[in-house]
Amino acid sequence: MPADPPYLRARVPRNEDARLLTGRALFVDDVQLPGMLHVAFVRSEHAHGRVTRVDAAAARARPGVRAVFTAADLGAYLKPGPILVPPPPIPNLVFNPCTQLPLATGKVRHAGEPIAMVVADSRYIAEDAIRDVVVDIDPIEAVVDLEKALAPGAPLIHEHLGSNVAAHVLQRKGDYAAAKKNADLIVRRRFHYDRGVSAPIENRAVAVDWNAKSEEMTIWDTTQAPIPIRNGLAAMLGLLQSQVNVIAPFVGGGFGPKIMMFYPEEVLLPWAAMRLNRPLKWTEDRQENFYATTQERGQVHDAEMALTRDGRILGVHDVFLFDTGAYDPYGLTIPINSQCTLLGPYDIPSYESEFTAVFTNKTIVTPVRGAGRQHGVFVSERLLDLSARELAIDRVEIRRRNLLAPDRFPVNHEIMFQDSAPLVYDSGDYLPALDQAAAIIGYDTFVREEQPKLRAAGRRVGIGVVCYVEGTGIGPYEGARVTVEPSGKVRCATGVGTQGQGHFTVFAQLVADVLGVDVEDVRVVTGDTREFHWGTGTFASRGAVVAGSACHAAATAVREKVVALASSVLNVPRERLELEGGRVFDRDARDRGISLGELSGKANPLRGAVRPGTEPGLEATAYFGPDRGSTASGVHAMIVEVDPETAMVEIKRYLVVHDCGTIINPMIVEGQIHGGVAQGIGNAFYEQLVYDDQGQLLNASFMDYLIPTATDVPPIETAHRETPSPYNPVGLKGVGEAGCIPTGALFAQAVEDALAGTGVEITEIPLSPNRLFELIEAARK
Amino acid sequence: MILSGTFTFEGPRARVWEILQDPDVLAKALPGTKTLTRVGDDRYQGVMKVSVGPVNAAEFAIDVELKDKVEPEAFAMQIEGKGSVGFTKGAATIALQEQPGPVTVMTYTSDVQIGGRIAAVGQRLLESVGKMMAKQALEALNKELKARLNP
Repeated sequence: MPADPPYLRARVPRNEDARLLTGRALFVDDVQLPGMLHVAFVRSEHAHGRVTRVDAAAARARPGVRAVFTAADLGAYLKPGPILVPPPPIPNLVFNPCTQLPLATGKVRHAGEPIAMVVADSRYIAEDAIRDVVVDIDPIEAVVDLEKALAPGAPLIHEHLGSNVAAHVLQRKGDYAAAKKNADLIVRRRFHYDRGVSAPIENRAVAVDWNAKSEEMTIWDTTQAPIPIRNGLAAMLGLLQSQVNVIAPFVGGGFGPKIMMFYPEEVLLPWAAMRLNRPLKWTEDRQENFYATTQERGQVHDAEMALTRDGRILGVHDVFLFDTGAYDPYGLTIPINSQCTLLGPYDIPSYESEFTAVFTNKTIVTPVRGAGRQHGVFVSERLLDLSARELAIDRVEIRRRNLLAPDRFPVNHEIMFQDSAPLVYDSGDYLPALDQAAAIIGYDTFVREEQPKLRAAGRRVGIGVVCYVEGTGIGPYEGARVTVEPSGKVRCATGVGTQGQGHFTVFAQLVADVLGVDVEDVRVVTGDTREFHWGTGTFASRGAVVAGSACHAAATAVREKVVALASSVLNVPRERLELEGGRVFDRDARDRGISLGELSGKANPLRGAVRPGTEPGLEATAYFGPDRGSTASGVHAMIVEVDPETAMVEIKRYLVVHDCGTIINPMIVEGQIHGGVAQGIGNAFYEQLVYDDQGQLLNASFMDYLIPTATDVPPIETAHRETPSPYNPVGLKGVGEAGCIPTGALFAQAVEDALAGTGVEITEIPLSPNRLFELIEAARK
Repeated sequence: MILSGTFTFEGPRARVWEILQDPDVLAKALPGTKTLTRVGDDRYQGVMKVSVGPVNAAEFAIDVELKDKVEPEAFAMQIEGKGSVGFTKGAATIALQEQPGPVTVMTYTSDVQIGGRIAAVGQRLLESVGKMMAKQALEALNKELKARLNP
């Protein structure tokens, strides 16, 4: 890359937006094929029960129905799904893997679990036919509450386990017992942190075309992981990986649940398409999304923090319960994220954290944007707020005193992270970010001058400032292939799925800078296994870091080929060659050059020879796999006003100071942050999945499940800081989840500050005007 | 969902009891009832159509069993309903007390569990729909009672 790359850090408009905004982008539901049949699923109405009868005779007899499949029809194909993420090597770890069958038989374990699959000429007929399928279920008492699930005599979800424990993990750093003995203050509380659905604008969808003549299958899938989906389905179907092509075209939001593999629907459609020899399509409706797509839910923490009198943290002790839902295919990623992220940017010498993952009769839990990090941040930030109050230390000041200093990096926290590597922070510079946030929001002035004045006038205004870190950009690897075409345009193919993050632009920027071409001349192709078939997927804020680094490496390899060939074609020493404006030329005689397009023709001659030791074309494939992730960080601050009558919270200002290492495109980074904050505000104040005591989800629609609208999301101020990661050549760190991680903790602090003097203490998220009103009323008594 | 309340019938208790045990009368009185037939001693089956918010005219196959009858004072009901949009399962107790007039005061309480789609999308409205249906049914029964008393 040149010393002053034109596109790095530039606000390049997104290459993909023209297609997206004019309706020319392909989404799975746009796929229409001749002879296509449509699929709908019969789902369990009971959260827990024994299936005593499934009778599809009437459905099969309905005109227009082509097939109905129940578990009994699947034969050897009926197998539980895989464990996607094996637990990290932590001593004495207990993990009880239980994964879902594509169609339930024997037992149902959550409302919405699929029981039968109907294939018909249209979705209308399929929807009518699912009502013809007779399903008898003997209900069993449902397990809903985490603590009741563990009580003796609780109904068992997976009988063979003898309990509802999905996992138990204890991680330790230092000697907390000793720290506690030396402490001047111990602050202890119980915290509840609940989350919700990912609410993408596009629900899940799968379309399958089996070509019996070529014996090849094409699957369009809204997945975040097209390559692992291809590999897994090929194995299940007994096909070569190369016989299966998975395309994840444009996807309207992933947020985590679309990395889940393998959903029953995406396992069943390919099998049925082969059996029926017809193309099939299923598109999830919004209600199905509420109980058939994975979600994140509650944790209950009993946590304490030990501190010195001057506010220095000596240690943290935390015991928590984690709701994993009816099955646990995603292993322990979420609770381990909670466990690790609790340490935040702080110097915490001793830490003891123990969790129990619990099966419940609810939809399966897998990562949703933030993936458990929110829960950890909430616990540590709240404990710091409470400690600050006890010790009469300012809230920003107590954080300042505990931040890790820049000379401490890399910081090894001595516990295992979700990627089975020790939790190590590569780099960071936390104090300046906190000071910058406090300065921009005007913390001191607000607290000393404005707030007292407004309070005197009867207004309940509050300010909050919280810090967080985010482990991002974990391995194992991604790859990319970069090709200069004779037209001079560049093609960059990579494997990660794309759900609106701006991959078509940021990958193009990295390649354009290395090859000296116009960013609009770089055509990025991603999420199509026929274009590139090595890689893992989009998760853990890793697209830009890992796939971006692979694109950069492939472009760098192409640049070497360009320079080598141009040197001999132009007869100019390599060190004098520069790439700019789509040309390679002699920097001492700029006219002496050749366009990359023409050079690519010379690299692929029709006659003559490609010399031994060289390859045809200007093309290279490269891979990037970091040993471990890079740690992004940031500070969020907000000013709120609470209406004392309605308990409605108005966000007056919202500020994000963040550090995701080297920034490729500030506009895209800000977009990621804005979206994340909106989701965080939803989590903090609007969204909650409400289950009754029989495991029925009571608000499975956007009429009752509130997500913030544009009018609920305030303008968001941002400031960028750059502490480059040493773990990749460009210094990148992820930013996809940063916006939503500390929002709950921030909301709690700012609202509590606004209500100072009322005795309200916030130890739970989500809040709502109603819940806040209850807390105010309870404090009054 | 728990629904409970009282209702005053303008007639003597014995006559109220009589109409409460008559499936033809109940079928007319209960809103949305398409059929209701006696299938055994104190056992009724039928089909009801219910609309709750976005769930419009959903059909439920219902099965009602009368229990613990103390004529003409009290009885209990076991109710099960199953339809394409969900299920319902519950119990109700009904007590009748005659007062001067004569009028009959009915005290009812029911605890009904509702599941499936209808619970997921209609939860907010279920209680008010339940109350409305109970009110309509009781008023229709009272009207029938009065018609029988003053033919």
